[in-house]
Amino acid sequence: MKWGNFLATAFIILIIILLQWPKMKQKPKKEKSAFIVLLLIGLFLSMFDLPYIGGPAKWIEYVFNPFGEILEK
Amino acid sequence: MKTVKISSLQMAMLMYPTIVATAILSVPNLTATYANQDLWISPIFASIIGFLTVFISVRLHKLYPEKTVIQFSEQIIGRIPGKILGLAFLFFYIQSTGGITRSYAEFIVSSFLFQTPIIVVIVSMVLLCAFAVYGGLEVLGRITQVLFPLFFVPLFLLIILLSPEYEFSNIFPILERGLLPPIKGAVVPGGWFSEFFITIFLLPFLADKKKGSKYGILTVFAVMITLVVVNLIVLFILGNTTSSKTYPLMNISRYISIADFFENLESVTMAIWILGTFVKISVFFYVVVLGTAQWLNIEDYRPLVWPIGILIVEFSFWAVPSSMAFIHYEITAFPFYSVTIQTIIPLFLLGIAFFRNKNRNRNKKKETNSVYK
Repeated sequence: MKWGNFLATAFIILIIILLQWPKMKQKPKKEKSAFIVLLLIGLFLSMFDLPYIGGPAKWIEYVFNPFGEILEK
Repeated sequence: MKTVKISSLQMAMLMYPTIVATAILSVPNLTATYANQDLWISPIFASIIGFLTVFISVRLHKLYPEKTVIQFSEQIIGRIPGKILGLAFLFFYIQSTGGITRSYAEFIVSSFLFQTPIIVVIVSMVLLCAFAVYGGLEVLGRITQVLFPLFFVPLFLLIILLSPEYEFSNIFPILERGLLPPIKGAVVPGGWFSEFFITIFLLPFLADKKKGSKYGILTVFAVMITLVVVNLIVLFILGNTTSSKTYPLMNISRYISIADFFENLESVTMAIWILGTFVKISVFFYVVVLGTAQWLNIEDYRPLVWPIGILIVEFSFWAVPSSMAFIHYEITAFPFYSVTIQTIIPLFLLGIAFFRNKNRNRNKKKETNSVYK
């Protein structure tokens, strides 16, 4: 876990909430919860050392590896 | 939100940089790895995927005129599978946006801003695109209308200014080892041409719907010509060494030297690239945000711009430790992933929708017949 990344993301999220929340007061509950949940996903991801853990790019490379090998021949 | 309208010319101007911007810089190298001196033939083969994709998205659009793929896939294959498919599309687009942002930043950091941390380049670009997307599709359309000449004219000038350096004999021997190498080379640009599926997110907002398919086909054609020409000039200047340069267009723009006045024009290439990637990232960003809002059945997509911006920055780093790893991903996985999600799956959707509609029409006919009996 890298505290710098986490704290920086938390700070940015705080700014986003401060600026966007007043505009969303009248919006339906669903919209507000989607907004918050997506921000929390972002905060959650920032806790990892992202470049060095397994992730989408690795999974996709694994799935499509056979096709790539055909091309290499 | 429903009053948002863009013209089909604006759609074409949005799509052209969306494909060309990243393609002109890295694709000559990726294609040359397989096709060698036949690299200029590959975009012609690859454009078949582009034409097919535009055909599919226009057809799907005609069946479901007011909706995007996130909405009508629920109608075609049912609610739950449709939601899962929608999530797959969103995942693909958010990850592609991350990938584009990363490749943009890698290019800037490795060629111009050597001392700048890569995160600064990424965040500043994503923030700029977030403002553009927050403005909405009309704003994007107008931005691209202003930027398009600035994108297109320098590219054209580059071709003319480089002409004294051309070594036309580099093109021979044509098809030295048969058709297979250029077809292999077409796989990577095929992944780029597949991105024309994005038109499905723009077609419902066209003011002049009848011209949509015409301009779509025209854009594919323009992209194909551009890629052929760019690959040709790269070949004329670099010859067999094309495959060893990561950014061939950058290398050749350093060759320009006319009257000791036009020199160091690689900064022009950088400007083209930044303009193009700005449009490209904005369009992908818009697709992700609009798609997410539709997937969640939310009326106003604008508040979602900020959280998704954070996610895009994170996806640009996720599981990509170095630029080498990213290039490896771009060659071995991205073309197949892109074609699967953006051409093959929509083809199946179109097939299912076609047969469903046929059955429905037949049932309707039966009903009307039985009334007359």
